[in-house]
Amino acid sequence: MTVTPTPARSRLDPEPMPRRDFLGLASLWAAASTMVFAAIGMLRLPKAAVLASPSKKFKVNLPESLPQGEGFVPPGRSVAVFKDKEGVYAVSLICTHLGCIVKQTQTGFDCPCHGSRFALDGTVIKGPAPAPLKWHKVAVSGSSVTVDEESSVPAGTKVQA
Amino acid sequence: MSAALPHTAIERFVANLKAIPNNLRAATLRGGTPNTDRSRSSFVFGNVFLHLHPVRVHRWSLRWTTTFGLGIMATAAFLITLVTGVLLMFYYKPYPDAAYISIKDIHFVVPTGRFIRNIHRWAANVMVVAVLLHMARAFYTGAYRKPREFNWLIGMGLLVTTLGLSFTGYLLPWDQLAYWAITIGANIAQSPREVTDALNLTESFDPGGLQKLLLLGSSEVGEEALIRFFLLHVMLLPLVLFGLAAVHFWRIRKDGGLVRPANADEILGPRTEAYPVFTEAPKKTYQLAAIVKGKTAAVGKGPENTLPSMPHLFYAELGILMLTAGICLALAMVSDAPLKELANPAVPENPAKAPWYFLGLQELVAHSAFMGGIGIPSIVLIGLGLIPFLDRETAGTGEWFGGPGGKPLVLQAIVVGLGSAIAIEAVAIQFGWIREWFPKAPQLLITLINPGTVLTLVYALYSVWLVKKHDSTRAGALGLFTCFLCGFALLTLIGTYFRGPNWNFYWSPADWPAH
Amino acid sequence: MRNNKLLLLFGSFLSLALLVVAAAQENVFREWRRVQSTAKAPGGPVEKRLRQVVVPALGVTDRCVTCHVGMSAGEPNVPGNPALAAHPPIPHDPASYGCTTCHSGQGRATEKADAHGTVPHWPEPMIPKVNADAGCGTCHSHIEVPNTKALRSGQAVFERYDCLSCHKVDGRGGTLRPGGGGMEGPDLSRIGAAGYKADWYEKHLEKSRTAGGPWTSTFGTIPDVERGDLETFLRTRVGAPKLVLAKALFHSLGCRGCHKIGGVGGDDGPELTAAGQRDPALSDFTHVPGERTLSNWWAEHFRNPSGVVPGSQMPAMVESEEDIQLLTHYVLSLRRGKFPEAFWPRDRIRAERFGEREFATDGATLYTTFCAACHGPAGEGMRYAGLPVFPAIGNPDFLELATDEMIAATVKSGRPGRRMPAWGEKAGGLRPEEVAAVVAHVRSLSPVRPQPDGKPRVWARPDAAHGPSVYARACASCHGDKGQGGEGPALANKVLLGSASDTYLFETIRRGRRGTSMEAFSRPSTTRPALSDSEIESVVAFVRGFEKGEKK
Repeated sequence: MTVTPTPARSRLDPEPMPRRDFLGLASLWAAASTMVFAAIGMLRLPKAAVLASPSKKFKVNLPESLPQGEGFVPPGRSVAVFKDKEGVYAVSLICTHLGCIVKQTQTGFDCPCHGSRFALDGTVIKGPAPAPLKWHKVAVSGSSVTVDEESSVPAGTKVQA
Repeated sequence: MSAALPHTAIERFVANLKAIPNNLRAATLRGGTPNTDRSRSSFVFGNVFLHLHPVRVHRWSLRWTTTFGLGIMATAAFLITLVTGVLLMFYYKPYPDAAYISIKDIHFVVPTGRFIRNIHRWAANVMVVAVLLHMARAFYTGAYRKPREFNWLIGMGLLVTTLGLSFTGYLLPWDQLAYWAITIGANIAQSPREVTDALNLTESFDPGGLQKLLLLGSSEVGEEALIRFFLLHVMLLPLVLFGLAAVHFWRIRKDGGLVRPANADEILGPRTEAYPVFTEAPKKTYQLAAIVKGKTAAVGKGPENTLPSMPHLFYAELGILMLTAGICLALAMVSDAPLKELANPAVPENPAKAPWYFLGLQELVAHSAFMGGIGIPSIVLIGLGLIPFLDRETAGTGEWFGGPGGKPLVLQAIVVGLGSAIAIEAVAIQFGWIREWFPKAPQLLITLINPGTVLTLVYALYSVWLVKKHDSTRAGALGLFTCFLCGFALLTLIGTYFRGPNWNFYWSPADWPAH
Repeated sequence: MRNNKLLLLFGSFLSLALLVVAAAQENVFREWRRVQSTAKAPGGPVEKRLRQVVVPALGVTDRCVTCHVGMSAGEPNVPGNPALAAHPPIPHDPASYGCTTCHSGQGRATEKADAHGTVPHWPEPMIPKVNADAGCGTCHSHIEVPNTKALRSGQAVFERYDCLSCHKVDGRGGTLRPGGGGMEGPDLSRIGAAGYKADWYEKHLEKSRTAGGPWTSTFGTIPDVERGDLETFLRTRVGAPKLVLAKALFHSLGCRGCHKIGGVGGDDGPELTAAGQRDPALSDFTHVPGERTLSNWWAEHFRNPSGVVPGSQMPAMVESEEDIQLLTHYVLSLRRGKFPEAFWPRDRIRAERFGEREFATDGATLYTTFCAACHGPAGEGMRYAGLPVFPAIGNPDFLELATDEMIAATVKSGRPGRRMPAWGEKAGGLRPEEVAAVVAHVRSLSPVRPQPDGKPRVWARPDAAHGPSVYARACASCHGDKGQGGEGPALANKVLLGSASDTYLFETIRRGRRGTSMEAFSRPSTTRPALSDSEIESVVAFVRGFEKGEKK
């Protein structure tokens, strides 16, 4: 490389870097971009492409004597399935605030974690929950009801048998 | 060896054999027995571990009131968690249910297992406390100021990493406490959805969902989440902490040791014991001195008010280490680390409480997940990070509560900080908040205006007023920092002791409804 | 520097002192070390070490034997102290089944309070000692029992024929020692599980004829009926007399009319399949005095159901403390653990693989198990405060008219809209032959039976003019203007109309039903004149019309 010496430079000052050093710049940029590319590739790994969790669709037989306004919670699920004159519907029991399981009461649902309270149709009455409880898609065939916990439908969607 | 030189190879071999102890010692110590200041100095910078320390340390730094040893205490607590944590890994199995059983075994049958686990848990708590207090110390003595801005930022990184370590450790026992605290934590990570939902953006732009997915590796807390938390807890975060801590310690030396007032030497007065400093002109100082700019070894400045690190600093450090160990041991002896029922995704804990240092946040989260869990903490972190760059003053550096306003200002700020926090909490507890008053209020309004943000605003306004009144950024910073500290303490207190089932307010756990 | 040296000195001594204390706690003062040091086995002192029973297939790691040193096979017995001595003789070796499988508690723990599980955050505390054989329910979830009546009469026969003089049962009897000795019969406490020879009676009889001596004086002929009772009793001798008694009581009160266990039972009350394993911390103890244990909760709940569970409609079914404790005992035994089939006992295999029941399937037991709570032990119908009156199905007026098909249809399909649930296989879980047995038993509640009149099921001729007006005048006040029911049962009911013959309806209206509000309409009352046969016929035809209206 050719460097034009600066006359005023003291003997002790380090030599200034050359401003146009194509080879050096190219190699540094090449290294940097390779590392960035590799880093992006590695960062992709932690984001799973498919989740290991099993399908959230399930089938359930409602008990014959399910009173109106009382949800049936299939064991191991966080969904309350209701049946009334207009049909069957499923309300998620997962609090929209921070994911606790809400508890059904006479008038609606209470969340134990931060005191959110929901009406029977899932609308927020009190507390920090930012959104109403989700309604899930249901399909009725005979006495069995299929609920898809991953789907959501507008509140008020009831399905006739 | 005064005897004649050995002649044969066998004789030389025997002589070498005999000399092994002496030679081993010489090879280890290299510069000879460290029994003089000079040999000790060379011992310190010739040793990879000790040379994190300066060779000489200012007398100001050794005063107990300068730091109260908080930084060393945090380090000591970290070392204790490191050792105990590695021991626990001999038995811990990071898999749902098996994890819980392995903790039970550690508790009941692993020799010293229960004690080690208790120490681990308490040392982690001591570490969090020490880190927080250490930060407060650095703030109140103005230690963040130039040239220590960068180290202040590293310190913030260490604070976040410490909290991260604590939080990730929380899930590992796989009990109810763990499961629900992490469920809440993971949903806090998801809480930007509160805003994106309100703006109808979630379909196309969902940082909250991505954060939760990255944290849990699944849609809910399960085996993926456990192995991720385990990885973070025992590998990633400790590595990060090591890296940051190494830089942190190194920067202390590079930034000229601990912060001290400009007139430190006058305050300390003349030295009582005579310590020769560079009385003989050294033949050579640092080899690099010729090309490094800035502060270097004090060549030609005459005797400084410094003492050799070995033994002065080392006594102090070892003393704090043993004291910290003693504190952790004592706490471990009187109180067992909790282990509740096996995690049950169907039945939430009621109340579900995060570790105590997050209960202040949980108190905020109980009004808005996004603002409490992400918004306000981000504001606080950004504010902390900006302080050294906004406060470019020099008055009061190195003094406790130094700067315009001083101690009276801090006392006033404590009153304001506690008072406004109590007032706003009281209103929220007694009368509810926007949702109770205007049920139809839009979500964005509820997210933006909640007790946490109002409190932050009050603090900010108070701080601006302080800046004007004292015509000093430092005054505003002192007020703001004190206020946030008080608010954090108060909210943590409320969250810890006065919140019961359904996060309702109770004066004492005795009033909790039985369930 | 001096201060720092002092700090180091203080810190070091503090830590050292604490470590010494911790070491002492770990190595000297552990509870189980104390227990083992007090244990004096005949072969010398017990070796001080942790002991455990590990059965991976059952998910069991039980360190109970660390303190209860003598309980596991191959360990030194410490006689004199029941807690340290060998386990009382049972057919199962604790070393291959573990301890918590039967007793619950926290097997991994090595301290008494933790191990016995009466600590916060442990969902399965030990089953109290008085309820010990409730633990059998973990595996033996299908021990077959008759109802209490059959059990008691079997026991009565057993005692009346003085079987106890030669045989031992549940720790009693076997007292006869004739000269020459050695004539005692075998212990029959577990004969139901071990099985016995079908021809035991003939053998006994032959022996009494040929052997002479005490044989002749103690054994004689036993009539067939009594021998049946006796064998019922013998089959229930499985080594858990209290559990059998408790289970029999549960199956005599009609509890399963409302509660499902393992998919069989009614839906009105909560399912009880795993009620004995409920976490006490999840139960509401607000209204339960005394300790917060599951057995206390259940006992108080049986004393006063709605007092413990506000809003519960369950009536108090038993009054005596003994029965309350028995029911508690049975509920505690409802554990039905999940474990590999290799560990399934015969009763469970028989039930889950070959479809046998865990209760006797004779009509009487089925009736008491599923029907008695509402219809009464003798079909007299029950009245509970706060609930409508339950029909008396043992009423001769009913049984004289109702055909077997009609009763069977009602049992199978229930009365939609009323409290009577459907008991068919898909709903309540009863099989056709079981329904038939129940019908036969209901039939046996009264000697009367319907006389076939040779008419088709539907014969009433509709009479558009009279039917509606007569119905509105005479029936609507109780049965509702559209047959929807009121004080009286709903008539617009698919199952009723689908199974009842016109004769049944006609005769019920004509004769009424004694003991209920249903009057005999063929006779005049103070408020209305008598109905003529043709009027009744037109009403029957009108009621028939509901059947079509009800179908949508």
